Amino acid sequence: MKKNKNVFKRGMVRLLGNERYQAISIPLFAIVLSLLAGALVILFLGKNPLAAYQNLLQGSGLLPKPAYAGYKSMLTDFTSFMNAWTPMLFASLAVAVALRAGLFNIGVSGQMLTAGFVTSILVGYSSLSAPAAKPLVLLCGILAGALVGGLIGWLKHRFNINEVVSSIMINYIAQYVISFFINTYYVNPVSRQSNVVSREARLSLMDTVVGDLKMDIPLGIVLAVLAAIAVKFLLDRTAFGYELKCVGTSRNAARYAGIRVGKNMVLAMVLSGALAGLSGVTYYLGYFGSIQPKVLPSTGFDAIAVSLLANSNPIGIIFSSFLVTVISKGSTYMSSASGLESEISSVITGMILLFSACGVFIRYKVKNWEDDLTAERRDG
Amino acid sequence: MERIIIDGLSFSLPLFIMAIGGIYSEKSGITNLALEGLQGFGAFTGALAAVLIAGHFSGSSQVTYYLAILFAILGGTLYSLLHALLCIRFKANQVISGVVINILAMALTAFLTKYLNRTIFSAASDKFVLGVSARITIPVLSGIPVLGAVFKDIYPFELIIIVVAVIAWYVMYKTEYGMNLRACGDNPHAVDAAGVNVGKVRLIAVMVSGGLSGLAGISFAYSISANFSSSIYVGYGYLAIAALIFGNWTILPTLGSCLLFGFAKSGGYYLVQLLKMPSSYSDLVMTLPYVVTLLLLIFFSKYNRSPRALGEIYDKGKR
Repeated sequence: MKKNKNVFKRGMVRLLGNERYQAISIPLFAIVLSLLAGALVILFLGKNPLAAYQNLLQGSGLLPKPAYAGYKSMLTDFTSFMNAWTPMLFASLAVAVALRAGLFNIGVSGQMLTAGFVTSILVGYSSLSAPAAKPLVLLCGILAGALVGGLIGWLKHRFNINEVVSSIMINYIAQYVISFFINTYYVNPVSRQSNVVSREARLSLMDTVVGDLKMDIPLGIVLAVLAAIAVKFLLDRTAFGYELKCVGTSRNAARYAGIRVGKNMVLAMVLSGALAGLSGVTYYLGYFGSIQPKVLPSTGFDAIAVSLLANSNPIGIIFSSFLVTVISKGSTYMSSASGLESEISSVITGMILLFSACGVFIRYKVKNWEDDLTAERRDG
Repeated sequence: MERIIIDGLSFSLPLFIMAIGGIYSEKSGITNLALEGLQGFGAFTGALAAVLIAGHFSGSSQVTYYLAILFAILGGTLYSLLHALLCIRFKANQVISGVVINILAMALTAFLTKYLNRTIFSAASDKFVLGVSARITIPVLSGIPVLGAVFKDIYPFELIIIVVAVIAWYVMYKTEYGMNLRACGDNPHAVDAAGVNVGKVRLIAVMVSGGLSGLAGISFAYSISANFSSSIYVGYGYLAIAALIFGNWTILPTLGSCLLFGFAKSGGYYLVQLLKMPSSYSDLVMTLPYVVTLLLLIFFSKYNRSPRALGEIYDKGKR
């Protein structure tokens, strides 16, 4: 028994012990654990987990499906996947920037909704031509998101209001107020959603004919990847990024070092809100063309998972948001192909989140095991 | 006027009992953003128990209702163990853990509701339909003008909540455990030095918050909305947290803020009906409790003093 335990310890230390790679190895370990747990659940439901996971990949255009409808192929599935991935990437960056300053922006969904709504009525329903409308959409989204985010930061700085509580309150206020305006002025009586925005303002080129395919081309994805690189640079290579990190690590130490804590918290929330705003416009004026009243996008909450999984490293977020989008986007096809409830995908995402929250503990445990092993070796 | 009081009370009291749970957890030093998930999961287990046993009792029997409450409390307590495990044993960030618990609760209950409906009841539905419990009117007292409404059309859960709240108040302020608990949130090292196990005190506190949230959740589900579905997650858990923050982490003032929310909500609905506004205006009214919360936070946050060790992981070796 003791020997077995030692083998386990040694294995775990060899697998996860190298501190240089822990930033990658521990999240990977969390993902593998949750996929295994998910597989167990699927097995317990009497379905084949491998087939289910394969369906997830097929639904996201990463593996070929057995059959395609006219004008569709793996490529169109993949572009449609990227269309869903774009807002997720922006939203996760928004969470990461706030986390760096020690703030928990759980209001990304509300900021997305506000930015999407404001931009829809200002630009989406206008008759501007495409070259004027598309940049304006981005600008409007950034401004609207930044204002809401900044408000949360300012409330925290000025009145000491916990940002989690204030952003949740703002989420609900935005949700109901916007639902009121949509239902009163902008509702489409058939779809019960807001009116569809103009093609010119849309950030994704929907149903574009390329060869013999009709695909949705998301323009925002290029911007999102560039944004991830820019945020990485900003956080790791500039004085502003350093100040944010100081504020996030220890507010008192930062204040003692002469860093203006309040200003940095507000700025972090402005930046986070701006990214959430971009996520909102790529969601409501890209992926979808309209807004469903009284519903907050779940993207803003899933983004927390994505960001935690990547340890709020912007480059890591590119990969983790890819993975989480595969799970959520592929779930529709999985549910039709294998008869599993599509909700199982959010359970798997939840488990990934759960295991990655234990990251600190895993790191601590591995360190402990390593110390045990060295002690044993020394004692003979 | 009567309706404002009746509806206001039936909304405030579940909020209040959930806030008491939050106070227990936070006074012991564990930040608890998981209330939302705990009440949802509690409501789910209670609702499941209710639909499973409903067939065994006659239609008018109230046994189902009380069993549902019991199971909701058990379910909430059980689920809160996850938060305790992450925060106490695994030393995870408590804010993150709370959010994780909420997201997982939403995902799990939505999935299980659909799955169980399909497999057990062979119905494609994403909700459990529950009834509305019988209401009680206390004779004589309900005859008092205006204030009599307090004793009129009471749901049984309101009486249960009042009894539990009194017990919770007593335990928190008049017993040794309560004193240890409050000390854990301010100076866990002193509690440890006095020979009390900090982890254990906190574990019990988190479990209490789970059980009380479960009671709140089933009150919202069984009676107020008469079904369990994902619409249980409309942020009442966060509202309870806001309530306990202006209540300054003490039980009686928290009751005041919960009553304020309840009356803001029921009063707003009454206003929409009175002025004969179109139903879409009820969306605007729905924002009232949240707007009131934000405004009150702006005025009162400055005077608040959270427990000193709130959110800190207890590390024996640290000084």
